Amino acid sequence: MTSACIPSALGPGAGIETPAIEVRQVSKRFRPDAPPALDDLSITVPQGVIFGILGPNGAGKTTLLSILCGLLKPTAGSVRLAGHDTLTAEVKRMLGVVPQEPAIYPTLTGRENLEYFGRMQGLRGARLAERVEACLKIAEIGDQADRRVEHYSGGYKRRLNLVIGLIHEPRILILDEPTVAIDPHSRSLIHQRLRELHAAGVTILLTTHYMEEAEQLCHQVAILSRGRVVVEGEVHALLARHRDDTIQITLDREAPPGFALTLQQLPGVGDVSLSGLCLVATAPRPTEAALALLEALRAHGVEAVSLEYGQASLEHIFLRYTGEDARP
Amino acid sequence: MNGNLARFVASVIKDTRIIVRDRQALILFFVMPVLFVLILSLALRDAFGERPGATFPVLLIAASGDLAGDTVEAGFRANRHIQLTRLPAAPEDEVRTWLIKGRYKLAILMPSGATEQARRRVGEIMAQVPPELRLEQVVKVRVLVDPALRSDYRKVLEGMLDLALHGVEMRLAREQLEQTLRLTQGKDYVPLPDVEQTRLFAPLPPEPVTRGAVGPVPTSVQQNAPAWTLLAMFFLTVPLSVSFIKERDQGSLFRLQTMTVPAWVVLGGKAVPFFVINLIQMASILLVSVHVLPLLGGDALELGDAPLALLVTGASASLAAIGFGIAVAMYARTTEQAASFSSATVMILAALGGILVPKTVMPPLMQDLAQLSPLSWGLDAFQDVFVRGGGLRDIAPEALGLLAFSAVCHGIAILRYQGRL
Repeated sequence: MTSACIPSALGPGAGIETPAIEVRQVSKRFRPDAPPALDDLSITVPQGVIFGILGPNGAGKTTLLSILCGLLKPTAGSVRLAGHDTLTAEVKRMLGVVPQEPAIYPTLTGRENLEYFGRMQGLRGARLAERVEACLKIAEIGDQADRRVEHYSGGYKRRLNLVIGLIHEPRILILDEPTVAIDPHSRSLIHQRLRELHAAGVTILLTTHYMEEAEQLCHQVAILSRGRVVVEGEVHALLARHRDDTIQITLDREAPPGFALTLQQLPGVGDVSLSGLCLVATAPRPTEAALALLEALRAHGVEAVSLEYGQASLEHIFLRYTGEDARP
Repeated sequence: MNGNLARFVASVIKDTRIIVRDRQALILFFVMPVLFVLILSLALRDAFGERPGATFPVLLIAASGDLAGDTVEAGFRANRHIQLTRLPAAPEDEVRTWLIKGRYKLAILMPSGATEQARRRVGEIMAQVPPELRLEQVVKVRVLVDPALRSDYRKVLEGMLDLALHGVEMRLAREQLEQTLRLTQGKDYVPLPDVEQTRLFAPLPPEPVTRGAVGPVPTSVQQNAPAWTLLAMFFLTVPLSVSFIKERDQGSLFRLQTMTVPAWVVLGGKAVPFFVINLIQMASILLVSVHVLPLLGGDALELGDAPLALLVTGASASLAAIGFGIAVAMYARTTEQAASFSSATVMILAALGGILVPKTVMPPLMQDLAQLSPLSWGLDAFQDVFVRGGGLRDIAPEALGLLAFSAVCHGIAILRYQGRL
C-alpha cells in the first residue's frame, strides 16, 4: 500500500501526495532538567496507510499522540496534519481519537454515549441518528445499545470506545493501544474494522505493544526508544532486511542479567537481545555465530532448547533496537 | 440552534442524566441539608428566640413568708428563662453538691430572718442613728454559682437579684416612712400613693429594628435555614469537583479536548444541573422550614416579602459555589484530593462565615474576618430579607460580591482548562 494508489482522502485542501501526518524534529521536555520525552523526533505518515508506533514503556508514544491531538505543545519542532500547521477546527474535525482506556460515561447507555459525542462533533438530527446506528453496527453492540455501559464487558467497552472515535467519520484516526486487555473475538473484530476503515481511505496511526498485531495490521511502523525513532519503514521491508542474519535461540532458563552484552563481545556476533527465554542475535555468518553463542551459553550453565535461523519478526526487530529498554 | 448552543444543551442533558442516575448522591443532596435544618433549628430554638425553654435552674433558700425571699422569688419567676426552686432551708454542703452535679446553676442563700433584720436597719437609718452606733448590719445574701455558667449569664442573674433586693429596700423604706408620717400627722395622715404609680421611668419592651416596618423577631430557623442552605450549596463543590476528576480519569474529558468543543460548553454543561440542584435544595429547605418545622414545635420561618431578592441571593450563592467547585476540579489531581480539599475549605469558610457559629456571638475580630467568606455574604443577604425586611436593593452588594467571586473562579477554571494557567 502506498499513498499513490488511493485518492486524497483529506479533503480539497490536500493533494494526493500530502502526508496525513508530518512530525518534524519534535522535542518535548516536561522539565528543563529532565531527559526529553521526545528528542528530535521525525515521522511521516502517508495518506491511507496503517502506521504503527511501537516502543517500550516510556519511549514517548503517548507524548507523541498527545502532541498530535493538540493536547500538548512541543518544546521544539513542528507537526502538520493534512498539510495544516495549526490544529484548526477544520483539522480537528478530520481527526478521530481513540484513547487507550475507554473514554466513555459508564452511567450512560452505549447509544447515549454515541449521541453525546456525536453532538460534540457537530452532528445533529437525521445525520446523527444515522451515524449512531452505523457505529452500533460497526461495533456489533446493537443488542446492548440501550444498556448502561457500566454493565458492558471489557471487549464491548473497547468496541464502543473505538466507534465513538468514528462517529464523525474522521479521515485520520489515532488509536492508543486499541486492543489491550480484551478477548480474542473483540480483538479480531477491531482488526477487521480497522482494515475496513483503511480500505475506505482512512489514515490510521496506532500504538501497540503487540508486535504480532503490528505485523498483521500495519503497513509501516516506527519503533521509538527514549524519545527517538530507532528504526522506521514498511513492515515487509523491515522483515526482509532482518531475515537473513537472524538467529533465534530458546533457552531452558533465564540468562543472568547483562548477559546480552557478554554475548555481543563474541567474535562474529552482532546485536543480541534477550527477553525471558528468547535470545535473538544477528550475525553476518549465522552458523558460525550460533556455535559461539551455544558454547558461551553452556559455559554459563544455560542450555538451548531450540535454534532457528532467518525467522525475523517485528518482535525480534523491536527487541534488537530497543534492547534493555524493552525489559519490564 | 447555534452549533455551540446545541453542544451546550447536549452537555447539560448528559450531566443531568449522570446525576439523576446516582440515586444515593441525590438522596444526600436533598435529604441531608433538610434534616440538618430540622434538627438544628429545633435544638437551637431557645438560644435564638424568646420562647421559654432555655432555662437556668436557680435555687433560692429563703424561709417561707419572708418578704425578701418572696420578692426575689417573684422577680425570678417572672423571667421565663429561669426555673426557680425555693426551699425554706437546706444544709450548705448539700447545696454545694447540687451545684457540682449541675442540678442548679446558681443558689441564693437568704439568711434566716433577713427581712426583719433589714426592717430594723431601715428603722435605724430613718431615725438617723449614726452608722457606728447602729445595731443592725447590712443583710448579707450569699450566692453560690456553678463555675461553668457563662459570665454574661451570671451577670444577668446577679443583676436580677440586685434589682429584687432594691425593690425590698424601697418597700421597707416606704413602710418606715408611712409609719413615721402616721405618728407625726395623726388624724391628718394621708396614705402615700401606690408605688407602681410613682415610677419615674418606664422601660418599654425592645423593638427589633428592620429596614421595613416592624419585622419578625430573629429565630433559630432564620439563622439555620439560610446557613444550611448555603452550606449545602457549597458542599455540592465536592461531587462537582469529583465528577470532573472522574471524567478526566475516564478519558472522556481528554476526548472532548481533542474536539472543537469550547471550554464554556464543557464547564457550563456541568454547572447547569448543579445550579438547578442548588435551587431545589434551597426551595426544599425553605418549604420545610415554613411548613414542617412548626409541626415539630419549632418556629416557622418567615420568608419576608421579597421573593425575588431570595431567588437572586440563592442563585448568586449557587454560582459562587459552582465556580469554586470547578476551579478546585481544574487543579486537583485525584478525586481524593478534590474531595478532601473542597470539603475542608468549605468547612473553614462556613466556620468563618457564621454558618456553624452565628456571627453575633463572635468577638469583633472574628466578625471582621467573617467578611472574607462568601458564605458570610450569602448569609447576610438572606438575613437582609428574613430578618431585616430587605429587598433586592438591600441584597445587591452581597449578591454582586458572590457573582464576582463566581466570575473569578470560572475565569481561572476556563484558563486552566485551556492550558493557559
